[in-house]
Amino acid sequence: MKTKLLMLVVLVAGLAASVRPSFAHHGAAAFDMSKPVVLKNATVTEFLWINPHPLIKADYKDEKGEVQHWTMEMGSTISAQLIGWTRTTLAYGDVVTLYVWQAKTKLPVGRFNKVEFSDGTVMRDTQTGADDGGRADTDVRQ
Amino acid sequence: MKMRNPRVGAIAGLAGVLVLAALAAAQNTAQNTAQNNAPRSPWKYYPADRATGDGGPAPKRDLSGTWAGPASGSGAPRQKGEVVPPLTDLGKQLFARNKPLGKYSPGGTNDPHSRYCDPFGFPQNMTQEIRGMTIATTPTRTFLLLQYMDLWREIWTDGRALPAVVGGRSKDAHDPKYNGYSIGRWEDDSTFVVETTGLAPETWATKSGYPHTVEARVVERFHRSTHNDLSLNITMTDPKLYTQPFFLGEVYFRWIPNQQVDDFTCIPSEQQLYLKEMGDPAGSDPDAATQGGRGGRP
Repeated sequence: MKTKLLMLVVLVAGLAASVRPSFAHHGAAAFDMSKPVVLKNATVTEFLWINPHPLIKADYKDEKGEVQHWTMEMGSTISAQLIGWTRTTLAYGDVVTLYVWQAKTKLPVGRFNKVEFSDGTVMRDTQTGADDGGRADTDVRQ
Repeated sequence: MKMRNPRVGAIAGLAGVLVLAALAAAQNTAQNTAQNNAPRSPWKYYPADRATGDGGPAPKRDLSGTWAGPASGSGAPRQKGEVVPPLTDLGKQLFARNKPLGKYSPGGTNDPHSRYCDPFGFPQNMTQEIRGMTIATTPTRTFLLLQYMDLWREIWTDGRALPAVVGGRSKDAHDPKYNGYSIGRWEDDSTFVVETTGLAPETWATKSGYPHTVEARVVERFHRSTHNDLSLNITMTDPKLYTQPFFLGEVYFRWIPNQQVDDFTCIPSEQQLYLKEMGDPAGSDPDAATQGGRGGRP
């Protein structure tokens, strides 16, 4: 019984260590990483392929019908292109669902998690793109 | 069903992990195969085109070529992080003035690179964003051409000594430089040792905000163990600020088959746009536990 318990503890500890969210450029201290905000049917207004972080800007109409102007950052250009991103992955007018870790300031800014396109395709951030906020680029980052 | 033998359980669990790992590896292989079958340009960096194996023995006394570092997609092993020694009182005072990115976020940091794209300076530029580097050798100098920020370091190999006086009021003093003054020598046929001093004091030794003085002495040991493998071990001695040598880390590089790297630079206008639209509105919460990284950059 003790051996089983020990095995369980080791397994849980290993999984916890493997899924710990991590940032390479800067820490996640400014963001609420507990649960991403979902911006369903948001309209992309700008996709800035810049360093240190590309910015996705999008308009989202909330349940009251009011339009929120969001800005979110993602992994650096050189990291994002390792998992398929280019400067034209998103474009003005694209209607998509965006998942974002909102800033603790509660302003409409945050760290990008993932995007769902109308055809069902999903693309993720390099550093916080996993559903739990962990890295999504572990296959290629080294 | 009751598992009577814990060893059987452990073996079953291990088998499950191995099966999952094999499935993930197969998926990666399929992705890499798809990329490998795509048309090739000799002008483009292909992260999936990794050097195969060790490529045979290292050529003697030759580091020349283009190398991929950490987080480049090249398969280079993760670098070893810094080991901070005890600080002197002056070291503590200078360190306390710095607000590193990892703790303070872009909105609260005073890291001159993160706010303004100011140069990392040496030695930080050999441990941060060191994803690509070309080494070029001439009879009297070795040049390190760093991908990030398109900058170069020069290491003199003509037997000269390092400048005796850098900084201060003496008439024969040399000016501090972002990359300092460097000399190099071959310790053996595969190990190139570089000594540097005269560092610009406004730069940080590490991303985590540890300072250095002009008089700091940094020793780098480049070791080419095979044709495809290069390591770099960096130690700084700065007795005004640290009571013991400061191990700044060990970085690993892999040979790039087509010898190409991408553009990667910090552009001040982009940095200001990023801070205005994103970094500053997101704020800073230095009391929150820092997640990941080593105090603070991909």
